[in-house]
Amino acid sequence: MFVHSRLTAVVALLVLPRVVLSAEPFHVHIDKHITDGFGDAKPQAAPRAGDEEFCRRIYLDLTGTIPTVTELNEFLGDSTKDKREKLIDKLLASPGYARRMAWHFDVMLMERGRDAKVTRAAWESYLQSAFADNKPYDAFVREMLSSDGSDPKTRPAAKFFLERGMEPHLLTKDIGRIFLGRNLQCAQCHNHPAIDDYKQADYYGIQAFVNRSFLFPNANVPTAVIAERAEGDLNFMSVFDKTKKLYNAAPHMPGGKLIDEPKMEKGKEYKVKPTPNVKPEPTHSRRALLAAAITSDENKAFARNAVNRLWAMMMGRGIIHPLDMDHGSNPPSHPELLDELTNEFVKHKYDIKWLLREIALSEAYQRSSETPAGLENPPNDRYLVAILKPLSPEQFAYAVMQATGHTDAERAALGAKGTEAQLDARLAPRLAPFRSALSHGGTNATADTFSATLDQTLFLKYGNAVRGLLPPRAGNLADRLGKITNPDAIADELFAAVLSRPPTADERKDIADALKNTSDRQKAINELVWALVASAEFRFNH
Amino acid sequence: MLPCTYACNTADHVLSRRAFLGSTRSATAALGVAGFANPIAAAELKKKQKRVLVIFMSGGLSQLESWDPKPNTDTGGPFKAIQTAVPGTRICELLPHTAKQMHRLAIVRSLNSQTNDHGIGTTVMLTGRKPEAGITYPELGAVSARLLGGAGSALPGHIQILPKGSSGFGGADAAFLGPKFASVSLGDGKPPPDLFRPGNLTPAEDEEREAFRKKLNSRFAKSRKSAATDVYTESFDQAEQVVKKTTIFDVDNEPAKLADKYGRHDLGRHMLLARRLLEAGVSYVKVSHSNYDTHHENFDFHIEQLGEFDRPFATLLEDLADRGMLESTLVVVMSEMGRTPRINDRYGRDHWGAAWSVALAGAGIKGGAVVGKTNANGTAVADREVWSGHLFHTYLQAVGLDSTKNFYPNERPVPIADPKASAIREILA
Repeated sequence: MFVHSRLTAVVALLVLPRVVLSAEPFHVHIDKHITDGFGDAKPQAAPRAGDEEFCRRIYLDLTGTIPTVTELNEFLGDSTKDKREKLIDKLLASPGYARRMAWHFDVMLMERGRDAKVTRAAWESYLQSAFADNKPYDAFVREMLSSDGSDPKTRPAAKFFLERGMEPHLLTKDIGRIFLGRNLQCAQCHNHPAIDDYKQADYYGIQAFVNRSFLFPNANVPTAVIAERAEGDLNFMSVFDKTKKLYNAAPHMPGGKLIDEPKMEKGKEYKVKPTPNVKPEPTHSRRALLAAAITSDENKAFARNAVNRLWAMMMGRGIIHPLDMDHGSNPPSHPELLDELTNEFVKHKYDIKWLLREIALSEAYQRSSETPAGLENPPNDRYLVAILKPLSPEQFAYAVMQATGHTDAERAALGAKGTEAQLDARLAPRLAPFRSALSHGGTNATADTFSATLDQTLFLKYGNAVRGLLPPRAGNLADRLGKITNPDAIADELFAAVLSRPPTADERKDIADALKNTSDRQKAINELVWALVASAEFRFNH
Repeated sequence: MLPCTYACNTADHVLSRRAFLGSTRSATAALGVAGFANPIAAAELKKKQKRVLVIFMSGGLSQLESWDPKPNTDTGGPFKAIQTAVPGTRICELLPHTAKQMHRLAIVRSLNSQTNDHGIGTTVMLTGRKPEAGITYPELGAVSARLLGGAGSALPGHIQILPKGSSGFGGADAAFLGPKFASVSLGDGKPPPDLFRPGNLTPAEDEEREAFRKKLNSRFAKSRKSAATDVYTESFDQAEQVVKKTTIFDVDNEPAKLADKYGRHDLGRHMLLARRLLEAGVSYVKVSHSNYDTHHENFDFHIEQLGEFDRPFATLLEDLADRGMLESTLVVVMSEMGRTPRINDRYGRDHWGAAWSVALAGAGIKGGAVVGKTNANGTAVADREVWSGHLFHTYLQAVGLDSTKNFYPNERPVPIADPKASAIREILA
């Protein structure tokens, strides 16, 4: 018995700290690190955002659009203590979550390139089901890097490779940037001149996984699939090296072990030999090693990059920023937090919903975006004040459709039996003009890269994509407002619908004045809706 | 004569400019009431601000039928070389009006652009760089808009007038300089439709909603002001100013006599529009004249094409000079390449980048200068060989810029012009 109780004590000792750790929700750790990072500015950190501010923010972040007036009022009317947690869980379980994540990952992975090999519809539907199922992130990436595009069922997963034409340099650059957070492009011809961590050998280490692969029959065929040769050694030399020494690149992840490869007996290199018009299949595939190598627990950069990118999606800035510049001379703003996030993400089996939930529950996320008086230009990397996030073209499009009541009108037209999927099928076709007008460059803008060009502004000002949504139609905002006589009630509904908040006294007066002096009341209402939609408050997730 | 279609059917031509624009919207809105810019302010602007005008002879103008004639040789073709305003300098007889402007023009006759491809040639000539893996260079228009951009001008700094097609924003020609400096395309000279107030929105209504939007923004900015919100709200101010200036796109505001002189045809109208835009403060305008890709019937086509080009171009130089704008406006006549000295069996000339010519005038240019030489029948450069890198330095230095400086995209230095080349001093004033 003695022995047994001693053993129990030891076990208890070993287990206890972990029990304590897991009893404390992870978001508490997030806030510990963020608060530590405040330093002297701690007393000046913005307070918790009000319910309206939080509600708009979380809807945009987790469902890609703003709340309906009903949803907003439901949340505001809830007086339970854990109502924010309940809302977060509700949104993570909603169909809007999958749509939003599909948009976000589409831009992250494909950077608004062409849809030549896998249609937009097939790709978005693949992404949506991955996020609806909350597919673990590592499994999701393995799928994308393993599909050769020959099976129609898994072809959409191969889009990352297929649309890049299996071009080795493009793939090396994008695998490094998108999956490892390292832009190794400058290490193509020599070790990176400014970044010690980026080695030419690592560049070619990644490339060695893919340089034997190619599109069959060729890259111009829309139905092309990925094929691979058994031979093709990858040699490189530095353009700075006067002796022109050649190095052989073995497949490996940056900073990781070289992968052992089986020596192939002569004559047995192929399962299917390359002959004209036949897709070759090597006995040993280098490309097949990539998915496992990249997602292996040893390759810390993989999970680290994922949490950093998801953090940035929620918080408006990466802990490593820019997102693809993870190296020694660009240290993370909160290194310990990043390590903990990374480790916990791996421990939680790359569960994206878990991670987003913890971030959303943190005080850091829920802080107000209003700069407290006395705090001048707070640095974004301290998170003292919530960072304004420009809406992506997709968020903007859906938010405009919701704000103008176009979404409400479509929902009403579908009737009580209408599903979210049917509604989405009606809204999605309106995305295209917003995508083409508001996306300059491949990636979505952040607070520090936001630009507004003349054409974008004219698109919002006079373009028909927005303007066409303004006039009244059964059930939309202009229609609802047109039927209200009391100007204060008009102002209340207008501000709730577009800006997800009540109007101030001044704003109520503005609305009353605008409606008093008009000869065409309905038209005045339509243009008031526009003014709110075109405001800076609407353009950003604040 | 049938309109010339591109004979070589390269992907570049099949895609044409339409793909370049990325927009299929067409201009339908009516233009506003006539109005002129304040003449005193305009005169001030003319003196200070430098501008660039490129006339792009799409398809590849034959140097032998224009700036470097070789009459009475095996390659010379049927046309004569004529006297110009500059004794000793002769150009092709297809350019009689231009010949009278020769004292304003400099010719570079020793260009070897090293490519016979439309697409690559266009890039090489407009960027002053040979294609390089891993980097895309901004075109002259974006560079000019970025470096010459008048701070006071709300108008876009980079405009291209295309013979036809749709109008739109956001050409893919600014590379790392960013979308602000990308070209705005005016298909057949028509501005993009979103530039005009929709018919169902009165000026008073527009003003009212703008006033309310501004109120909302200033309230929001009280506690949430940031660089991004400033950029956003300022972009509306710029749009408002541009919208007020839409009359500059309307050449009908020009005196009929002048319009007659430019010529009542597309190119004449486009050149006149170019002058209006430059006068209003646009930093760079490119007018494309199509099409010089004369694999068949080179001589007939050049009679037609240059017949259309000659008078409006000469008028444009005169008009710029009359307005005191020529000394601050660099004018360049270029193509993506020249044409083979050898005449093929269809009386055509084919693609040729090895020895051809570019003409320049205006700001910083020594009028009447001729630099470089080709051999007797034009088959090779004989003296002072240059390529587009040299020209790019020359353009920038002509408008007073230091072409040896760098841009810093992502905080990395990228030379504005190719450091392996330098300006052609002989033609700089």
